[in-house]
Amino acid sequence: MNPSHSPRATAPAISSAARGYLQRVLQLHAGILIGVALIVFLAYFAIYTHYAVSLFRFPFDYDQGEGFELLDTILFSQGEWPYRDITHYPFYSSNYPPLFHLVVVPLVWIFGPQYWTGRVVAYASTLVTATVIGLAVYRGDSGRGRGRLWLATLSGLAFLASNYIYHVGPLFRQHIFMVMVEALAILALVVVTEREEKEGRRSSRGLLLVMLLLLAAGYTKQLAYATVATVFIFLFLRRPRRAVLWAVPFALATAAIFAGINLATDGHWLINTVTANVNPFIMEQMVMFSRQWFQLHMLLAVVAAAYALYQLYFERLSAYSIWFAVALLNSVTVGKWGAGESYFATAIAASCILTGLAFARLLSWTAARSRMQHLVALVVIPLLFLWQANRMFHMPTHTPLLQSVAAALGRPTETPVRPQTGCSAPRPAKSVPYVDSAGVGLVGRPPDAADREAGIAIVRHILRSDTPAFSDEAGFNLYAGREVVTNPTQLLNLHRNGAVDLTPIIATLEAQAFDTVVLRAQLYPDPILRAIEEYYKTVDLIEMNGFVYCILEPRE
Amino acid sequence: MKRITDLGTEPLSKRQLGWLLIAIGVFGLVLTLSVELMGGGMSSGLGPAQRVALMAAFALAFVGLTLLPLGDRPA
Repeated sequence: MNPSHSPRATAPAISSAARGYLQRVLQLHAGILIGVALIVFLAYFAIYTHYAVSLFRFPFDYDQGEGFELLDTILFSQGEWPYRDITHYPFYSSNYPPLFHLVVVPLVWIFGPQYWTGRVVAYASTLVTATVIGLAVYRGDSGRGRGRLWLATLSGLAFLASNYIYHVGPLFRQHIFMVMVEALAILALVVVTEREEKEGRRSSRGLLLVMLLLLAAGYTKQLAYATVATVFIFLFLRRPRRAVLWAVPFALATAAIFAGINLATDGHWLINTVTANVNPFIMEQMVMFSRQWFQLHMLLAVVAAAYALYQLYFERLSAYSIWFAVALLNSVTVGKWGAGESYFATAIAASCILTGLAFARLLSWTAARSRMQHLVALVVIPLLFLWQANRMFHMPTHTPLLQSVAAALGRPTETPVRPQTGCSAPRPAKSVPYVDSAGVGLVGRPPDAADREAGIAIVRHILRSDTPAFSDEAGFNLYAGREVVTNPTQLLNLHRNGAVDLTPIIATLEAQAFDTVVLRAQLYPDPILRAIEEYYKTVDLIEMNGFVYCILEPRE
Repeated sequence: MKRITDLGTEPLSKRQLGWLLIAIGVFGLVLTLSVELMGGGMSSGLGPAQRVALMAAFALAFVGLTLLPLGDRPA
């Protein structure tokens, strides 16, 4: 009797055939799911780019404060410092370090003072950060064989698909540029230290590059101190003496630049970038943003934290794990008055890298154990990315096609949003063609032609007279070709810290020296708001970007 | 076991990192409470920033404690 025809031998043969069939099914599903995940995240990238292009075309502030960053750039392009005595006309000063604005200066020289200049640079910097994330994952993966391009791509695109990065990425803001420089510094640190350990000799030149990138990040925005701490903690863990030896010249260089700018600005750099940044801490704000960040980025947060803990207890801590932990710890500063979702951007970038590396590790581990386990992992990982994509859902719904897509995905096709009325009576909610799992926010909906027309209507009010407007946004004066007067949040910060005398500003309001006042969120200190109320009256209310702007003129 | 004299030339061990985190955590706890006791808090009871600082300091010290049994493996 042929043994293969015996009942005992048939069972394993069937089992083997079934396993082969199951493996082919899993392989097919893995391929399809990876493809679908890539398509979904590329769709998010297309949505992000659409939003960015809409902002490039919009000539006013979309997020309050963008215009002041443009003004800083204009001042730098004219060879002037934006760190000034705010008690003197035009009562303007800036609280942000200079690097981002200096990078935008050449564009302002060529194209003039346009909002899109800084927005393009910020958008491009998010693309660089996403590429750095992809590179970090691909390098980390390829250390154990051939890198998986799809995993690196998904990790990079996940950064751009984050609701927070989407919201703030293409704004004329220096924060996201800082994140790019931070990411470059961490990647450079990893490359340099890996090369050193491989070749067995130190690379001072490589580490110098890391230090220069850290300096650049710090002089883009003060919040980069978290990444500076990361680099020195990592160096300290690997070779403490080396960390100290590099920390001393780094601190000296940072202090020398600080002292140089402070000297060149008669001490206004210190007052405006340090004193003005001491703000009250609001616990509820911190808890609200932290909870929202976790709910929106649950997969990235959990996998990154788990992988960092794994490294902490079972192998050496990588620079990425330290970066994630320190950035996350630093994210509690989101509770500071004036802080926002962008404070999580660094932690999001780090979590994308760690998630990609953790999945790469899982794939390598399962591949070494059994083909079946590896295929299961190949199915589960893109499924998890798709689950994460669903949690971060956001898209404009201004066309019938996009509305159909939102409806097909079981999402609402519009969001009811009550206009923000800081200076006027409450208004009923309106349906906005934008859906976001982060909820109703101030940013995210692409501005449209009506918003542009509203901005021009505000400018027409200013052009009826000869003076600049006393405005809590810079864009209207810039569009009208008038001088930008005041920086409300800076005045508020300095006022809270007892570092500014408001008398000269109030005197100009009492004298009704400005023919127009434009208010949006009433961000000025109370004494200034009281003077405005006393000497000016509301003559028009104009809605733009979901905010009701109050146009005021002098009382008789 | 690594000695304190090894500091500077060798990578930190898990145990050394544990002690370091405990030291930072305890220092953070003492500093935050001292600021409050010396009137720096400017209010009765701990403020929100101080509560966050205390929680972070406690968490650091706790993580440090869990690292102590891991010995001389590089951190």
